[in-house]
Amino acid sequence: MGNTIVQVRKSKLVTTLVKQRYLFLMLLPAIVLVFLFSYIPLAGWIIAFVNYRPGIGFSSLQWTGLQQFTNFFAKSNDYIYLLRNTLAMNIGSLITNLVTAFIFALLINEIRVRIFGKLIQTVTFFPFFISWVIIYSFSSSLFATSAGAINETLVGWGIVEEGFNFLGDPKYAWVFMIALGAWKYLGYNSVIFISSIASISNEYYEAAEIDGANRFQRAWYITIPSMIPTLIVLLILNSGWILNSNFEQFYLFTNPTNWERMEVLDIYIYKYGLQLLNFPYATAVGIMKTFVSLILIIAVNSISKKATGRAIF
Amino acid sequence: MKERSVSGIVFDISNQLFMMLILAVMVIPFVYIVSYSLSSPNMLKGGLVLMPSGFTMDSFKWAFEHPAVLTGAFVSIARSVLGPAIMLFITSMAAYVVSRTDLLGVKFFRKYFIFTLYFSSGIIPMYLLMGYLQLKGTFLIYIIPGALSVFNMVLIKTYIEALPKELSEAAVVDGANDIKLFFSVIFPICTPVFAAVVLFDVVNQWNSFMDVQIYNTMYPELHSLQYVLYNMLNQFSTVEQLKGAGERQMGAITPQTFKMAITVITILPIACVYPFLQKYFIKGLLIGSIKG
Repeated sequence: MGNTIVQVRKSKLVTTLVKQRYLFLMLLPAIVLVFLFSYIPLAGWIIAFVNYRPGIGFSSLQWTGLQQFTNFFAKSNDYIYLLRNTLAMNIGSLITNLVTAFIFALLINEIRVRIFGKLIQTVTFFPFFISWVIIYSFSSSLFATSAGAINETLVGWGIVEEGFNFLGDPKYAWVFMIALGAWKYLGYNSVIFISSIASISNEYYEAAEIDGANRFQRAWYITIPSMIPTLIVLLILNSGWILNSNFEQFYLFTNPTNWERMEVLDIYIYKYGLQLLNFPYATAVGIMKTFVSLILIIAVNSISKKATGRAIF
Repeated sequence: MKERSVSGIVFDISNQLFMMLILAVMVIPFVYIVSYSLSSPNMLKGGLVLMPSGFTMDSFKWAFEHPAVLTGAFVSIARSVLGPAIMLFITSMAAYVVSRTDLLGVKFFRKYFIFTLYFSSGIIPMYLLMGYLQLKGTFLIYIIPGALSVFNMVLIKTYIEALPKELSEAAVVDGANDIKLFFSVIFPICTPVFAAVVLFDVVNQWNSFMDVQIYNTMYPELHSLQYVLYNMLNQFSTVEQLKGAGERQMGAITPQTFKMAITVITILPIACVYPFLQKYFIKGLLIGSIKG
């Protein structure tokens, strides 16, 4: 009796499999690709625990345990400046980007000439699509100390005696990186805010007008409060990625004169791994970064769920 | 006609002036490089150039005769066409399959893909893997690892789930199998979401620089235009160096006008697809944010 149930179940399974064979065929390339390029590299984490060097045979590999992890924290103080730079620029960018986009969306909503508003949106969204190499090219021609157009103008007008060294001086590094990010992402970040304003029901505004509320009161009591939930959700969700820097941006703008304020975790991993070829150490630092990020994401996700009822998973 | 208070008018004027300022900050870098690249160097006086002075196309002629620029343009165009096409094919099929709730083990497959959004191995294991797979030093390294995008898959799946069920039911009654059902019924009506993910992928492929830097630095024939530009920005600082690099003298140009011309060439394709990008991408972005 029990046997027949198992058999019926089995044959049902087989019938479903046969019936869905085309579906599995369509899914197969995706499964293989994800396995190859996302799961197999995870197995490569083993490198952090052995004395791997390029060209070394598997037989001569030795277990080194957590040595690489303790090296990072005990033997070097690198983590202090790395975390300082990474967090300073990422938190700075997160807040700057959201606040500028919030205010920008609010102000663009008050532009009464519609075509002007559309024009501004079109122009500000464009830099989102250009590469960091292009921005690097802009920056070196506009902000170079002596030959940069901005410094030339400032010196020419007699505003400053000597040009600012935005690209090389560590004291400008953080502000400069945050500003470039704000320039690139302003239009992109404001899209969600603009759509959240657009979704506010007109009835609120009509009712407020009947009650005699002027424009500023309508913005203050209706528009801004309706945008706040979006702001909070974006703030919480984005703070999960706070250890991840834009690799290209920092690869291009980090140089021997400003590195102490510029070098972030991702660049450090690249430097130790692919330039100094210390694969175990670089992998170990990468693993720690991934785990701390994951904990952050899970934490902010549950905070978001509690606070706003919205979550990514 | 609505009431216009004094404070309202003052606000409107200052708001518009502020928006003009933002507009200027956004536009000036582009105007500057275009004007600079179209100017004769001996006419340039320094400072911000907002109009070409001594109009000349010499730097562009030069750039288009430079072998590295031509190779770079070819590589960039090839990857921006092939990459998104293959990505769409594989990703859209997978998205359709995991949108089917009747699929055996559908919950497992969804988790299998989503997991990778939060857990990445990092740069070193990836680098070593590319070596083992012998993808380093090949064009395929630009295409294959990105042929499935889990993020795009989620976007497409969300879109498919919102489609009316009657469409596919009718096709099933007609006796179509799943492959035919997907390509002849579902695929054609997903155009808006496909446009968004494909355009975004085109831009990503065109803009990519890091994969060349990490894997293919040693292979000049595989350098993308972005990478060629990066090399030029760092290499040539004098006219002599340009000549030394096998350039023949052609009109009056300086390394700076040359660099600016390549920068303009690199931006142009993005500017050409921008109207479509803006139209479809905002839609895609909003689909994603509603889900998120």
